[in-house]
Amino acid sequence: MLRFENVKKSFGKTVAVAGLSLEVNQGEIFGLLGPNGAGKTTSVNLAIGLLQPDVGTIEIVGAGAPTAPLVRSRIGIAPQALALYEDLSGQENLAFFGQLQGLSGAHLKDRVKWALDFVQLYDRRKDRVKAYSGGMKRRLNLAAALIHNPPLLLLDEPTAGVDPQSRNAIYENILNLRKEGHTIVYTTHYMEEAQRLCDRVGIIDQGKMLALDTVSNLIEQFGGKDLAIAETAEGEIRIETENPVAELEKLRQSDRLIRFRVDRPSLESVFLNLTGRKLRD
Amino acid sequence: MHKVLALTVKDLRLMIRDKAGFFFIFFFPLLFAIFFGVIFSGEGGSSAIPIAMVDEDSSANSAKFIATLAAAPEINVLQTTRADAVDKVRRGKRAAYIVLHKGFGEASERMFWGDPAEVEIGLDPSRKAEAGMLQGVLTRYFMEGLTASFTDPTQMRRHFRQSQEKIKTAPEKDKPYWTPLSSALTQLDSFFAQSATDSVRDSSSAQNKAKGKGWEPLKVVVSDVAVNQNGPKNPFDVTFPQAAIWAMIGCAAAFGISLVTERRGGTLMRLHTAPLSRWQILAGKAVACFITIVTVSLALFLFASVIFHIRVGSILMLLLAIISAGICFVGIMMLLSVMGKTEASAGGIGWAVLLVMSMIGGGMIPLLFMPAWMQTFSSISPVKWAILTIEGAVWRGFSPELMLTHCGILVAIGLVCFIIGARVFQWTEG
Repeated sequence: MLRFENVKKSFGKTVAVAGLSLEVNQGEIFGLLGPNGAGKTTSVNLAIGLLQPDVGTIEIVGAGAPTAPLVRSRIGIAPQALALYEDLSGQENLAFFGQLQGLSGAHLKDRVKWALDFVQLYDRRKDRVKAYSGGMKRRLNLAAALIHNPPLLLLDEPTAGVDPQSRNAIYENILNLRKEGHTIVYTTHYMEEAQRLCDRVGIIDQGKMLALDTVSNLIEQFGGKDLAIAETAEGEIRIETENPVAELEKLRQSDRLIRFRVDRPSLESVFLNLTGRKLRD
Repeated sequence: MHKVLALTVKDLRLMIRDKAGFFFIFFFPLLFAIFFGVIFSGEGGSSAIPIAMVDEDSSANSAKFIATLAAAPEINVLQTTRADAVDKVRRGKRAAYIVLHKGFGEASERMFWGDPAEVEIGLDPSRKAEAGMLQGVLTRYFMEGLTASFTDPTQMRRHFRQSQEKIKTAPEKDKPYWTPLSSALTQLDSFFAQSATDSVRDSSSAQNKAKGKGWEPLKVVVSDVAVNQNGPKNPFDVTFPQAAIWAMIGCAAAFGISLVTERRGGTLMRLHTAPLSRWQILAGKAVACFITIVTVSLALFLFASVIFHIRVGSILMLLLAIISAGICFVGIMMLLSVMGKTEASAGGIGWAVLLVMSMIGGGMIPLLFMPAWMQTFSSISPVKWAILTIEGAVWRGFSPELMLTHCGILVAIGLVCFIIGARVFQWTEG
């Protein structure tokens, strides 16, 4: 659906994307993860045609480069910043963005109603956006990306700053969109979110793809060993092990064990193992 | 076109819902026009000098003079006692007091002998500027009374007889000097006696009625130069074109900042990702700004003509002028929108540029009141051209050729600014 081939993009002396290649398949949720400054936003901006690559090609498969206006109509974007007009109502915002995508008349009306229903804002459709809660604005931001029913959706941190209820509602929306056949590129800092939603994940840092696979494969390859954590009379013991059951047996024999648990490797371990634990600016 | 229209409607909707912005686009210019129009017209309160009047003579002549002053539009008379008059001036309640001394009435009847009528003026020292005007007013009304007595044959003959009685009682040594005057007074008395008879006989004639208006040593005809030279017929003719320019300035600032707001808020990114060219995005903003300028300007002139009765010289020319000025300010808006990266910087730079343009271009002080060198210098400001063009349609009586020249200048400024702004926008937005 979306293909990057050896894409490079620099801003002055700063290399934002350094030879990135990836292919997002039709109907999957593709997670693009990376620490701050890794090149995620630049990659998204390249994918939606806001930026042109210095080197390499970007293609919406079967349509062409996203820099062409007509190709861009196949993409829906929910940017991290809430790209909404606060003094327009939810309905007016969607109608406006629909018109820009070439919708009109009854079709526009139907799509606006569908999008408002989809994000559960139909009852608040006539309220101005400035009266919405953070979660409602996030849902409307998603609806604006969907108004023209694009096959490819780019969701840039779509759950940033929302409460658990709204976050769960957004997860449901995204999973439903996949069921309907949409392809979704998803960027987030929440690893559990990516682990829950994404079919495949690409981890980038310093403009390069460090790893790209399904979540389970990434964990298997880069997640490290299980972590056995035992609470004893002397304190907590943390043991990296491939066989936590054997570790449990050993501790039980010592009579010092109070509590025992095993932390399995997660996408977060993968992320930290690949990108390091050093703080980023 | 459908997409440009959608962008335009969106911007107009946002502009109407932005109460602070709408105030600066419509209500501020309206208040400006009304406020300065009222000031320049001198309406909204009397500008007469308040004086306290003291009559120490209490004669028929002093009462008559006070009545004349009370009817004068230049002063506001309060008759009172001397002590009260002095107190009122001291406390700033009155600008001056005037005392008619004892003997004022008798002295004002004497024309050819004795001391003149005496008037005392006491002034508030902080209002010395009004003293000259007050002296002028007193002299004028006193002279008018004197003039009236010159044209009244009966009164004049009484003066002559009183004068001749005085000559008879003059010392013997002065007689040689007085004798020719006595002879002249006798001849004048005969002349005025004949004049009184003629006056009675022709009292029904319209011509004589006009003559009876009084002897005029100098006839001064005051001509309204402004009207003869197609000047503004009322102050609102000047202030409403200025108000229209303020509305245009408000629009340029508001729409310029709105583009920065879109960039900062992320909606511009959404516009960029829609199947739109950058020119379409700018065109939507420009058309919304233009429609607002034209609508608000027409609303201001409609208001001015209904409420303040300004009469537009040529409605067609006014439309042309507003459209041209609108194009000019849309171009300026485009240039301002690329000058700042944040709303605060864009607003600051935008208003600074626009206020300077307005200051030197006649948006604050009418061009009419500027010294000649400044009027020449102000040609660098588009505000001047816009005001001149609109005034050209309202009261300056521009010929079609002159109007087209001015409109051409405005459109050219607008196009140049728009092209520069759009190029910078293209460049900064990738």
